[in-house]
Formats: sequence, C-alpha cells, structure tokens
Amino acid sequence: MTPLTVTPAVTAVRTRRSRRRAVVLASLAVLVVALATLALTVGAASLSPGRALLALFGVGDAGDLFVVQRLRLPRLGAALLAGAAFGLAGALFQSTLRNPLASPDILGIAGGASVGAVTVLLGLGMTGMAVSLGAFLGAATIALLIWFFAWRQGLHSIRFVLVGVGFAYLAASLLAWMLASADERDAATALVWTVGSVADVRGAELVMLGVGLAVLTLAAAVVSRWQGPLALGDDHARGLGVATDSARVTTLLVAVGLVALATATVGPLAFVALVAPAIARRLTDDGGPALSVSVATGAALVLSADIVAQHGLLGVAAPTGIVTGIVGAPYLLWLLATHERRTRA
Amino acid sequence: MLTSPQVTSSDAARQVAMRTRRQVAACAITLGALTLIVVASLVLGVRDVSLPVVWEALTSPVAGNVDHQVIAGQRVPRALVGIAAGLALGVAGAVIQGVTRNPIADPGLLGLNSGASLAVVCAVWLLGLTAPSQFVWFAFLGAAAAAALVFSIGAGQPVRLALVGATVTALITPLITLVLLRDPQAFNLYRFWAVGSLTGRGLDTLTVVLPFIAVGTVLAAGLAHRLNMLALGDDVARGLGQRVGVTRAVAGLTIVLLAGSATALAGPVALVGLAVPHAARRLVGTDYRWVVVLSALLGPVMLLGADVIGRLVLPGTELEAGVVAAAIGAPVLVAVARGRKVAGV
Repeated sequence: MTPLTVTPAVTAVRTRRSRRRAVVLASLAVLVVALATLALTVGAASLSPGRALLALFGVGDAGDLFVVQRLRLPRLGAALLAGAAFGLAGALFQSTLRNPLASPDILGIAGGASVGAVTVLLGLGMTGMAVSLGAFLGAATIALLIWFFAWRQGLHSIRFVLVGVGFAYLAASLLAWMLASADERDAATALVWTVGSVADVRGAELVMLGVGLAVLTLAAAVVSRWQGPLALGDDHARGLGVATDSARVTTLLVAVGLVALATATVGPLAFVALVAPAIARRLTDDGGPALSVSVATGAALVLSADIVAQHGLLGVAAPTGIVTGIVGAPYLLWLLATHERRTRA
Repeated sequence: MLTSPQVTSSDAARQVAMRTRRQVAACAITLGALTLIVVASLVLGVRDVSLPVVWEALTSPVAGNVDHQVIAGQRVPRALVGIAAGLALGVAGAVIQGVTRNPIADPGLLGLNSGASLAVVCAVWLLGLTAPSQFVWFAFLGAAAAAALVFSIGAGQPVRLALVGATVTALITPLITLVLLRDPQAFNLYRFWAVGSLTGRGLDTLTVVLPFIAVGTVLAAGLAHRLNMLALGDDVARGLGQRVGVTRAVAGLTIVLLAGSATALAGPVALVGLAVPHAARRLVGTDYRWVVVLSALLGPVMLLGADVIGRLVLPGTELEAGVVAAAIGAPVLVAVARGRKVAGV
C-alpha cells in the first residue's frame, strides 16, 4: 500500500489559501485595532491615542481613567464581543443550512428575542438582567418551534428558512400589538430595545457575554470539522462517516446559543449575522464557510456601526442596531441582484 | 377502441360538471359564512347588542339611542372596512401568487406593507398629518416604490422573491424606527396604525379608497385567465399568444392598487393575502377565475372573522384584527412550507 500522495498542485492551492486567509485575518485585525483606537479617543472628551492607551492601563488623571475605563471600554468590549458572536453564528447558520440568506433576522429568532424582552419590560415591568433572560428564552423558544415544525425526515434547509419566515411575521405582529397596548413612555423604551444597542452594557453582563462567547467559540471549533463534509451534500457526508442530522443539529444549537447570548446582552443588531459572513466569504473566496474570518468581520462591522451611530451624521445618538440594518440590507440586496444575474447567465 | 374516447369524454364531462358544482358550492358556503360573520360583527363586542335592536338601528334609527349610535357610528363602518380591506388583501394575494408562481407571496412578505408604512411615517413626521384618511396617498406611493424594488430584484426567482421582500422589510424597518425615535408624536400615531386594526377608520377613508379597490378587483378579474396560462410557464403563455410583459405590468398595478388600499384602510396587515389564496385553491382547484372569486369572499371572512375573534378572546378589551389574522396566517405558512412542493424547490 502506497500512502496517499498529495500532488504539488494541491499543496500549492492549499498554501495559497491559507496564506490568503492569514493576510485577510491580519488586515481585519489591523482594521479592528484602528477602529478600537478611534472608539477610545473620539467623543465628547477627545483624547490623544497615547493618553487613551495609558488610561487603558490605569495611568493618567481621574477624568481620563473614568472616560476610558468606565465609559468607552465597556462599550468597545460589548461591540467587539457581540459582533464576533453574531458573525460566527451567521456563518454557522449559513453554511449548515447551505443558504446564504439564513440569518436570525429572517428566521424570526431575533424577533423571538424581541418579543421575550418586551414581554419582560412591559408585561412584568422588570429591567436589567430579567430583560436579557427574557430575550434569551424568546430566541430559544422560536428556534425550538422552527425546529419542531421544519423537521420532517431530517432537516431540510429551505423548509427551515420558510418556517422561520412564518415565525418572524408572527413575532413582528405580536411585537406591534405589545407596543400599541403599552403606555407611551414604556413603548418608547421597548422600541429602543428592539433595535439593539451596545451603549449600556456594563460589568456583569459583559463578563457573561465574554465567558459565554469563549465557551461557544470552543464548541464551534469542535463542530467546524463537519462543515467540509456537510458542504459536499448529505450523501457524500454520510459516505465520509458523518452522522449528518446530528452534526447539523449540534451546529445549529451552537449557532442559536451564540445568537441568544449576544441578543440577550445587546439586543437584536439587525443584519450583522447575515452580512458579516457574506463579506467574509468574499474576502477569503475559497468556497469554505470562513468561520474565523466571519468573527473578525462581525466585530469590525458592529464596531464601525457603533462609531457611526454615536458620532455619525444621523442627527440623533442612534442605537447601534439602526446603523447595522441600514448598512447591511442594501448590501444584501446587491448580493441578491448580482446572484440572480449570475444564475441567469 | 372506438368506444373508449367517448367513454372518457363523457367521464370528463361528468368530472367537469362535478367540479363546477363543487366550485359553486364553495362560493355559496363562503358567502353564507361571510353573512354570518357580518351579523356577528354587528352584534358582538364589548357592548353586546341584540339582533332586533341591530335591525332597528339600520332601518329606523332613533336619535339619542346609545345602542343605535354604536351600530351606525362604529360597527357598520368597521364591518364595511373589514369587508373592503379583506377583499383587497385576498384578491391581491391571489394575483401576487399567480403572477410570481410563488406560493410564498403576499403583500406583507414582499415588503409592500413596510414601504407603505415608511411613507406614512414620513408623512406624519415631515408634513404633520394625523388622520388615517390623509395617509391614503402615501400608503399607495410607498407600496408602489417597494413593489418596484422587490420585483426588479427578485422577479423570476420564486423562492428568492420572498427573501428579497424580507430584506426590503429589514432595510425599511430601521428607517421607520429612526423616524419614530426622532419624533415621539409620530411614534404614538404609528404604533396604533401599525398593529393593523379596523377601528377608528371612518367612512371618509373608505370612500377615498373604494374606487381603487373597485378598479383593482376588475383588473384582477380580467387577469384571471391570463394567470391560468402563465401558470404553465412563460414560454407556454407566450406560445398561446400572451404578452407576458403586459400581464406582469397589469398585475403589478393591480397588486399596488389593492394592497395599497388595504394598508391605507387597516394598516399593515400581514399574512391574510398569503393564507386566503391557499385556502381558495384547496376548495376550488387551480383555476384562477375561481381562485380570484373565492379569495374575494374568503378575504373578508378571514379579516372580519379575526376582528370578531379579537373582540371575544380577552374579556373587557379587544385584540386588534391584524394580530389575530397573523396568528391564523402563520400556521398556514408553516403548513405550506412543510408541503412537498416547496421543500423540493
């Protein structure tokens, strides 16, 4: 038995791909660092990068320390962690369901989180961690419902997406009703929550987000070894010894966990989970799911959206989620338009 | 061999006769159901009014009688608005599903409702409009713009069209939210309009949109035969002498007239236009001449029925028709998605 030889051509392609991925990751890291510097220095109290850096490590006057460590750092951390979580979740959804449009927004999981959170806010009159718990339960409930109704001799991806669209509309209608029946001021609070913002994430919530993200990223690394075989189609994947249904279910479970965690902390930031993986796939351009790159694009997208939302030209200090939607949706429409042209050609 | 064609043709004749009888019966039964629901909508409510008193109120109203005032001033307009909006949504849904050959199409899913909503919100914000009867023209304009965008990107790709609609909705929703956050007064008007309700719309709004609904319904009736040919595919329809482009354009106009009218009347009601044509096809088969007629009857049954149910489920208060209609419509979408035809796309 001769060992399976890898031809030089294959080796060359592999080297080129991994080199390209390294370059993409490095450039995104530079971008994120630049954006983070911007986020720490720009604002009502403008700081030089040097002073901000010193304040970050506890050197400087009390004012600098307060602005950097208490105001800007938590916001920066929340934007990076939530963006990473949404990016990774979206990449897992899209590659597992083999549909570039599968995202928590379109599947109704984000809508479920909003319904859960607004129920706690308006129905029970509670705030803080209880709202996050409500969002988590809402997202998980909708995900389980989609699962239950989409499962028919296995998990068919288009069926999963369409059932999700149905639940998205149901959630939107429930949300409209809750906003209409609420008191005026409460309704305005709830409206801000349904958009999502990284502005008010503090201490315990941030730690929870960080720990949860670390655990789920490890889980994602474990399940990512099935992504290659699953991309070949169910028959080939089974031939390679992958139990396709349980692989898909485990992967989606990790993705739903990521969405529920991030939404519970910062609210449903529209379209990050959809756009970040799409950009990542374009950048790596190797036909793979681009999981690690999606983490970086997600973080960069949310961070830049938050900078625009805070200091941008919108006239009001807008919640982060508004900017992600306005930036994300046109990009997706463009993707759809060009995709159609390609399939027609 | 000589007798067999005759046997099959007489069999076929009998089948056609049986089908026609069933189609007539379905329409008659639906008309009966609609009559019952109209009566129920006049009688039932927070203040129950007995049938003889309703009759009195309609035939010989007494000035100053509270029951008579409730019937003539609130319940009759509400029933008329329900019939008109339900008819418009049902027929619009049938035409959309026919012209796109897509079972997952409806004014809400295709983003027409959100386009109308954005235009209405901007009108409230920039022009200071306050009455629903003033919203009409903006609802039309917004629905038309959204329809143009969605059809230009998603046309010809049945399942993708639903996703383009969802994306346009996701683009427009944050824009609406942005306006609502800037202008609390607009938010206060909007949240009662957006939930989808038959109350508070006087006969003045109805008289404005009625001509549009009439024109749209006539156009839809004229289109039915062309939709039957289109169901066989663009090429076959062309081979039968149809100008497919003209059909599409007329259908687009019909959809905007009907869906815009319905949204102007009842607010963005989701999923009625989706569920009604499906129910109609179950009852009378795929002939669009019958589907359009039955949808025109089933639409009011569903919307006004949802309104009546909404008055009964919560003691002492009411659930808006739009919420109940979505709760009925979402299971229909899920059932369609579970069907083999869609799953095989």
